[in-house]
Amino acid sequence: MSHDHHHAPVASRYDLAPERSDIGLIRPDRFTGLRDWLTTVDHKKIGVLYGAFAMFFFLVGGVEALAIRTQLARPENDFVTARMYNQLFTMHGTTMIFLGVMPLSAAFFNFLVPLQIGARDVAFPRLNAFSLWTFVFGAFILNASWLFEFAHLAGWFKSFDWYNALVYRDFAPANGWFSYAPLSGTFGQADAALRAPRFTGVGTDFWIIGIQILGIASLAASFNFICTILNMRAKGMTMMRLPAFTWMTLVTSFLIILAFPAITVALIQLMFDRQFGANFFNPTAGGQPILWQHLFWIFGHPEVYILVLPAMGIVSEVLPTFAGKSLYGYPIVVFSGAVIGFLGFAVWSHHMFTTGLGPVPTAAFSLLTMAIAVPTGVKIFNWLGTIWGGRVRFTPPMVLSLGFIWMFMCGGFSGIMHAAAPADAQQQDSYFVIAHFHYVLLGGVLLGLMSGLYFWFPKIFGRMPKASVAYWASGLVILGFNLAFGPMHYLGLAGQPRRTHTYHAGFGWETWNFVATIGAFILGIGVFIAFANLVWTVFRGEKCASDPWDGRTLEWSLPSPVPEYNFARSPVIVCRDAFFVHKHGPHRIAYEQDGGEAGVHMPSQSWMPLLASCGFLLAGLGMPMSAMGVPHVGWVVIAGLGVLFIGIWLWALEGPGGYMLKTPVSPVSSAPAPAEASSAR
Amino acid sequence: MLSRFFARVGLLVLPVIALLTAGCSEADLKVRQSTFDHKGPVARLQYEVFMDSVYLVTVLFAVVGGLLVYAVIRFRARPGDENKPAIVEDGHGNPLTEILLIVASIGALVFLAIPTLKGIWYTDDVPEELVPAARLSAWYPRAEGGVENYAEAVKDQVLEVDVVGKQWWFRFEYPQLGLTNEGRRSVPNELVIPRGVPVRINLRSEDVIHSFWIPKVAGKVDLMPGRRNHMWIQADEAGHYYGQCAEFCGDSHAYMLFRVEVVEPAEFTRWVSAQKKDAAEPVAGSRAAEGKALFAAKTCAMCHNVGGHFGAGAFGPDLTHVASRKSLAGAWLDNRDPAAQQAAVAAAGGNTEASAPVDHAVQKANLIKWIGSSGVLHGDGEATRDVKPGNRMHYYKMFNVAGLNETRTQLTAAELDALAEYLLTLK
Repeated sequence: MSHDHHHAPVASRYDLAPERSDIGLIRPDRFTGLRDWLTTVDHKKIGVLYGAFAMFFFLVGGVEALAIRTQLARPENDFVTARMYNQLFTMHGTTMIFLGVMPLSAAFFNFLVPLQIGARDVAFPRLNAFSLWTFVFGAFILNASWLFEFAHLAGWFKSFDWYNALVYRDFAPANGWFSYAPLSGTFGQADAALRAPRFTGVGTDFWIIGIQILGIASLAASFNFICTILNMRAKGMTMMRLPAFTWMTLVTSFLIILAFPAITVALIQLMFDRQFGANFFNPTAGGQPILWQHLFWIFGHPEVYILVLPAMGIVSEVLPTFAGKSLYGYPIVVFSGAVIGFLGFAVWSHHMFTTGLGPVPTAAFSLLTMAIAVPTGVKIFNWLGTIWGGRVRFTPPMVLSLGFIWMFMCGGFSGIMHAAAPADAQQQDSYFVIAHFHYVLLGGVLLGLMSGLYFWFPKIFGRMPKASVAYWASGLVILGFNLAFGPMHYLGLAGQPRRTHTYHAGFGWETWNFVATIGAFILGIGVFIAFANLVWTVFRGEKCASDPWDGRTLEWSLPSPVPEYNFARSPVIVCRDAFFVHKHGPHRIAYEQDGGEAGVHMPSQSWMPLLASCGFLLAGLGMPMSAMGVPHVGWVVIAGLGVLFIGIWLWALEGPGGYMLKTPVSPVSSAPAPAEASSAR
Repeated sequence: MLSRFFARVGLLVLPVIALLTAGCSEADLKVRQSTFDHKGPVARLQYEVFMDSVYLVTVLFAVVGGLLVYAVIRFRARPGDENKPAIVEDGHGNPLTEILLIVASIGALVFLAIPTLKGIWYTDDVPEELVPAARLSAWYPRAEGGVENYAEAVKDQVLEVDVVGKQWWFRFEYPQLGLTNEGRRSVPNELVIPRGVPVRINLRSEDVIHSFWIPKVAGKVDLMPGRRNHMWIQADEAGHYYGQCAEFCGDSHAYMLFRVEVVEPAEFTRWVSAQKKDAAEPVAGSRAAEGKALFAAKTCAMCHNVGGHFGAGAFGPDLTHVASRKSLAGAWLDNRDPAAQQAAVAAAGGNTEASAPVDHAVQKANLIKWIGSSGVLHGDGEATRDVKPGNRMHYYKMFNVAGLNETRTQLTAAELDALAEYLLTLK
């Protein structure tokens, strides 16, 4: 490494003398409290922040879902208006996918990957902080649309000229998470100001810029994890010894960097259509609305696997732990994950069977979609094989993982039904589809992520969540979920279309919609209890041992909470499930002679990632406001881009810094508490 | 104890749901838009492919789910395990097992792939074997009483209907039979087709994407702006069917419904002739005549065509025969008496295609509700609690006609009544 270290190794970063970066600013390494969290580059803290924000947005998306279900509880209900309903389901889908599941997966990537591969941090710690804050600001911009919508409904804008000049006064997005053009785009010829007529107002602009910024966060994080996993593995941690979760992180990261460019391009085209009168998707000017669908789904379908593969990785860690048996068919589980990722790019048009593709493409995508059931089935068989012959211990994470397998399997079965294109002609855009993807994404992914939360929480905070509460929550979640979404299979086949804010009595949909609403509230209560139990545990939970589950992978060899340098000495691995074999089998984990008094190299904290992300915040808020016609706000956009540029520039110029931190020499889990615990100010 | 209890409850929920669903009565499978109650070859094929997939996944579910339940119960931890070696042997998988499972999975999917492929081609366009009997010349007299019904050039064609989607209603045109919007005689929201005859449907959109779905007759195909999609349908039982837009198309997507009247071929030809007739002149001095004057004065005629009275309107639904229709406002408002309709369905043994006739009192109330709530009161493009929020009845701004703003004043109750009386004469 080229940078020099001015200081001798210290026992704690609070002992560091103030150090100036290459641009002369004092590095924020010695901060505590809020300023520490804002400038942190520690992958564990970043993971915790990702998790906290994700859980918050899960609750936001959940409240939106309950509003949707309340509206649908009885026919011709008027709990919300049509417009508000459309905004609710748009924001519900967008929030759950981009602000709930993806960041919660990212929380696990961040916290676990370096620990599982025996590394001290990710490859690019400051880039990691940048991903986090960019995600947070992207999420804020998306939800800021609600603030504008509420201000509009409350009439606070009535005295503004720009408001009175607006043709469309919808401020929260109302196009669905898929935002099909031309509903989201333009229609007709652009005027002299390069604005073409459109169907929706600035809600769509909020959505476009919000998703664009979230995509940047995801891309940056993915490059980081790919580099980390490929380059920072401990000695002996060969690719085929990687824990299954780390493998799924790698596959997911590749999916993100290959899938997001498609949506990035599509969003830019849509933005150009709306802001500058381009005609990519404008059918009256020779544009092709179908192009949006292809671009969206060639991102959108891999996105499904981006959501589900991390949860599969979690389940592949939880099951072996509580079956007391190594993952059955590890190579084929890993390989099938990669095949799912690969085939995930070849099935996008099954979202478009009803768009008039013609028989040959429909047949091709039908067969490919059936083909993707094979590697998915392989995973389920191998999880079954993992349990087979094991000694299954029931714990909250195990119950949730078993729930994952059941719900995901059911979602997979209805997925096979959609793959048969003629059957799909009846199911497409009906409640049957809603049932299908909620079984996959809620029954599957959410249960998997909750399983992961309950599994690794003792490692993250050193405290054990209350099992009895966790069981009650899991029971309510599984019961409520099935009650909410099971009947939707019937509703869809009984002809109820999705994305409709109301329905007539007399179509036979009343009873099961009411049951679904009751189920949704039970589910909501269950998720709330599950999350509240975790939050309570952070502050009041019972302290627990560093390896409470008899864990198998390297993170369980570390103290809980994990010290900031992770490994006092770098481990050397000779087999899969290294820590389990270390405890019970023939091979011990060896350790390199690094660390100790000579110290380990720690990256310096920095304000620059946060500063650069603030540029996105300004530009991202400014663009929709500019589209509203708020005067002078175009300058805010330019200022935001300036802040972004300056942030990245100073980031480059400040130099990576770093300091040497002493570590206790005994590296195993029974090691004494980290030195800084006693010397912290 | 608690853990086992919840583990088992969790695993039992699904079969319980499955049983509940299986316990539904037959009537639940015959509701208005049920895909189970197929009434034509396309929907029947789609149902059969669906049932193939149901058989397949039921077997898979029983096998995999059964093994999972067995494994979780059989291999649960027991007292005394702690004395056994911690490392369980043979944990790394068996290549033969894996290969067998993959081959079995592929075999299972081939079972579904074959009917799927057959179905894709069958549902794409009117099958060759059905074409001879479906030709117009095979069932539709070319001329009656010296009046040509359709041109010689189209006599060997299958009946075609152009379906045009707009926010938020459907327009139906029969170009071979001279019922077109260009010719100022199209049919909004109530598609009429002959029983037992394949009909080719051409799908067009004039704004955003919509989707055409009559669950009992055929699965959906989208109406893509700028593209020319098609499908074919055939209904084998006469009756009144329910359809709905299935692609999210904006504020009032939920209100974009339509109806299909399936009638005997002979009645269909009579219906076409009746559609071509112009509206009769209302009795001079009547409320209806007053309404006719208002129809022009309040600019209704700018968008709505009334054959024989007003010929300028091409944008909104054709109202020449509005009083003959069983629904209004994109089929959201039903013009039949609810009790009479229930009785009709009950008399037909629960067949939801049975229909009561139009109830003119209900129809008039609907007309007043619909016109009175639309745009005249809310002129600023806002979503409101209208019958159909955002509907174009108040979308006068897009025409940019000088002075139009001033003419759009609120209609009085008397004016609404007169307009409704006029529209009721348009049989």
